Amino acid sequence: MWLPLLGLILGITLGLLTDIQIPSEYENYLSIAVLAALDTLFGGIRAQLQHIYDDKVFVSGFFFNITLAAGLAFLGVHLGVDLYLAAIFAFGVRLFQNIAVIRRILLTRWTERKGTID
Amino acid sequence: MKLQNKTWSVVLFSLVCLVLGFILAYSYSLSSSKKLSGEVVTSKYFEQEERYREELIGQQERNKELENELVTRQQKVREVEMSLSGSEEQYQSLIKEAEDLRLLLGVIPSIGEGVKVQLEDAEYDPSSVNPNDYIVHESHVFQVLNELKISGAEAISINGQRIHATSYIKCNGPVITVDGKQFPAPFVIEAIGDTSVLVSSLQLTGGVLDKLVNDNIVVTIEQKSKIQMPAL
Repeated sequence: MWLPLLGLILGITLGLLTDIQIPSEYENYLSIAVLAALDTLFGGIRAQLQHIYDDKVFVSGFFFNITLAAGLAFLGVHLGVDLYLAAIFAFGVRLFQNIAVIRRILLTRWTERKGTID
Repeated sequence: MKLQNKTWSVVLFSLVCLVLGFILAYSYSLSSSKKLSGEVVTSKYFEQEERYREELIGQQERNKELENELVTRQQKVREVEMSLSGSEEQYQSLIKEAEDLRLLLGVIPSIGEGVKVQLEDAEYDPSSVNPNDYIVHESHVFQVLNELKISGAEAISINGQRIHATSYIKCNGPVITVDGKQFPAPFVIEAIGDTSVLVSSLQLTGGVLDKLVNDNIVVTIEQKSKIQMPAL
């Protein structure tokens, strides 16, 4: 159980210690990657709460989404079309939806527990 | 099999967490460093601005100093001008004196109204034995010359030969020598000066004219409005 937490701490440390400067036109990729990672994370949490969680789906979705988003942004930069906006939009919407679903599930559970206690 | 599966999933989850943490932390550090560099740029500009401002202030102070200097210099110039204007009259008199002295020396040409005195030998008189009685002598020329000088002639010439302060006139038989040049009669003496003064001084009773006439010399005095004399 401690391994994921250790991985998180290790990742944060690595990220803070990394001192690579990337060109400003590639910063969009990073923002999209962040969005994709967050989206997948919340999607995983939601799936866990809905008891439909699957390791394979989660892990593959995590990496594939990041890669896809970055690739889309790369393509957009080279085509002169702001395709990263599409990725941001899609991931943003999904992020909000996932968070909303999580909130509802948690609220339902809370009210149920309250009802059983009462 | 199930345990293995669970371990596998945990490892994968850790990997996901690692990547997530890395991405989050990296973007955080990147954006914060960018903000920092932005601040650095701002501070650099600020420093530059400060430096320019100090330079500007320095220049303005220098301007002020120079302006003060200018004012003092102008004051000095004004003082000098004042003293100049005070002594202007003196200068003018000095200039006039210098002019007079130059005229006396004959180093500058002279133009102006004047008189022309012509001294001519009298007609041959058979009754007179001595020809000296009726010819013009250098003493006569001297008299006229002295009278003209006394009455304020600026410049005098004899037969066109300008007379200056150190000129000499010598009797040399029938001719006279002025500064080494010989001139025969008639002698034309020209003088520049106040015509009325010159003429009246020549025509004084018992003066030069009377003496010359007594010596049987034909004298003609002519007033001229313009006489030119070259410099020596």
